[in-house]
Amino acid sequence: MQRWHEAAGRAALAAAVALATTAWADMHGSDVTHERIRDADKRPGDWLTYHGTYKGWHYSGVDQINSKNVGKLRVAWVHAMPRSVRGLQSMPLAANGILYYSGSYNQVFALDGATGEVIWYYRQKLNEDLVSKQTHSPYNRGIALGLGHVYMGTLDGKLVAIDMKTGRLVWETKLIDSERLTVGFTGAPLFVKDKVIIGSQGGEWPYRGPIFGVDARTGQEVWKFYTVGGNDGTQSDARNTWGNDTWLTGGGGGWMAGGYDADNDTVWWGTGNPAPLYDWSGPEWMTAGARPGTNLYTTSVIGLDPDSGELKAYHQELPHDAWDYDSAVGEFLMLERRGKKYIVHPNKSGFVFVYDRKGKVQNVWRLVKNINFVQDIKTDGTLVGRRDLTEGEHKNLCPFIAGGISWNAGSYNPKSGLYYKVGNEWCMDLTVKRTQPILEPMAQLNIGADFSLVNPQGEKAHGRVAAHDPLTGAKKWEVRFPEPPLASLLSTAGNLVFVPDARGILRALDASSGRELWKHNNGQGHNGGIISYLGKDKKQYVAVATGWGGLAGDDYANFFGPPFNTFPRDSGVLMVFALP
Amino acid sequence: MRPLALAAVLAALGAAPATTRAAEPGQPGVAAKPARDPAQIFATTCGWCHHKGGREAGKGPQLMGTPLSDGEIVQRIRKGKQGFMPGYEGAFSEEELAGLVRYIRSLRPR
Repeated sequence: MQRWHEAAGRAALAAAVALATTAWADMHGSDVTHERIRDADKRPGDWLTYHGTYKGWHYSGVDQINSKNVGKLRVAWVHAMPRSVRGLQSMPLAANGILYYSGSYNQVFALDGATGEVIWYYRQKLNEDLVSKQTHSPYNRGIALGLGHVYMGTLDGKLVAIDMKTGRLVWETKLIDSERLTVGFTGAPLFVKDKVIIGSQGGEWPYRGPIFGVDARTGQEVWKFYTVGGNDGTQSDARNTWGNDTWLTGGGGGWMAGGYDADNDTVWWGTGNPAPLYDWSGPEWMTAGARPGTNLYTTSVIGLDPDSGELKAYHQELPHDAWDYDSAVGEFLMLERRGKKYIVHPNKSGFVFVYDRKGKVQNVWRLVKNINFVQDIKTDGTLVGRRDLTEGEHKNLCPFIAGGISWNAGSYNPKSGLYYKVGNEWCMDLTVKRTQPILEPMAQLNIGADFSLVNPQGEKAHGRVAAHDPLTGAKKWEVRFPEPPLASLLSTAGNLVFVPDARGILRALDASSGRELWKHNNGQGHNGGIISYLGKDKKQYVAVATGWGGLAGDDYANFFGPPFNTFPRDSGVLMVFALP
Repeated sequence: MRPLALAAVLAALGAAPATTRAAEPGQPGVAAKPARDPAQIFATTCGWCHHKGGREAGKGPQLMGTPLSDGEIVQRIRKGKQGFMPGYEGAFSEEELAGLVRYIRSLRPR
């Protein structure tokens, strides 16, 4: 009996420890696993990945705040991020009522989602001299959660894991020689299975734009995929699509978190543009100019095996992108209609691509009106009437370099069946010039043109939020804005679409009609994320990043004037709303 | 007279002579390479923010007709301005910096 008692006691103790551990883990959300994210629909009060869930909808299934009561929405609490140079551009995450969010200079806070009380604060030790030399810096656009860690890419080329409970550094791994390449990481990682996947900045930077797969527990680099030319000596090797060995300085990269198709175990990532952005080759681009050839796998969507990084499928949305209309937008909406599964991915050019789950194009539709770099893109993805540029002056190229679609995310609402997305109507004049990549002692931007932002012919530059069928592009409603709103959108099960606009007004629209139901002035522009979640008090909150700056917003002060020329450039505040 | 004025400013700032290329970290005195054409440097790196080749404001200010002195221009290129412009310390040689100042001074409406 004594033995039985000892055994029972040990078992009871073990159970108590397990229960306490579970409770502790549950309290901090440190039990976020691949399975929990895959089954995120079961716990709609969380927001576990940059795109909400693996489905990439930027949608909250919580409906306490709805079209009937949203008029009563009030500020619940606010939190100011220190050193918010170029505003707050990140997407907060929420697990078990705790809110995690990042800011400039790789700072991270964990806050009580109901009160805003600080649980911990993490500040990455950075190479500040390097950061001061970066153009795409010092902002951070998001983090990932998994296996008890908060994962973040750093400005100086590291991936770090922070303990979700304590805010202490667990491991850090240097992935990029940022001291030589100048760029590092600004985009959010994606946690899948037991890997953390993160893409480097690329585009105008002369390198090969790798995407990394890192062991989520140890920080060890497991695989690397070069978005410029693929991996040497493998089936993905496509260096022969870059004439004159220009793959060495090709650009590419994948600077926004991609998506994950759990049904087919495939990570989907959008890649950056080739460098230089503008090529002087004109129609002879297959054999002449700065980078002869199609330039795989830039301006493409690529499907990778999360375990090995092996290329499973791809589609190059713009072969030989000569306009910087890349595919780096990280949204991959995983949809299903009438038994068929789809992926929807918006391209910077203003076209939206619809794929099957193997990456075969099913449809292409226009979100934006002012597009003239091609006459059209056929529904099978074929470009028609390319406007390839030669050396010298060109007028009225549309859209502007900041894109008909910018990097922030739209939202798909399964209840309305509509996809809410910002479209930008603006154009540019440019003079294409022959350039050589600058590699020493530190790599520099390689643009290849002088340019300026101009109004589209016959109208003023503007933006709009529109509701479309995500597969056909059929438009149900749209709301016009005097300047393109740059921030992400949020839709909810309460039949609401939240639109944080450039002037600093947060609006709630009726998801069915676009009718404005509520608004609040946050006092400075929006250029980051917005989420909804349940606090520990089981109450619904809406959190939105505020603060102005960034590569698109920096043009507003000069072009649009007030209020943008009065906004601070070093302020970042998280505004959180709830019903009384 | 502008290049001479710039040379004096560079000397006062303790800059390396124009015949020496900007040093790489830990490698002082790297042998000179031909200076890159300033208009090309501008279209490669600077035009992202200073629109129309510097003739118009964009993310950054218009450079054509800037009231800054040559020395102030060089210092701004080297050190940048937090939140507005990165620093290019070491990225360009003294000769190239002088070329960029000449380029900015030569800008005319187009």
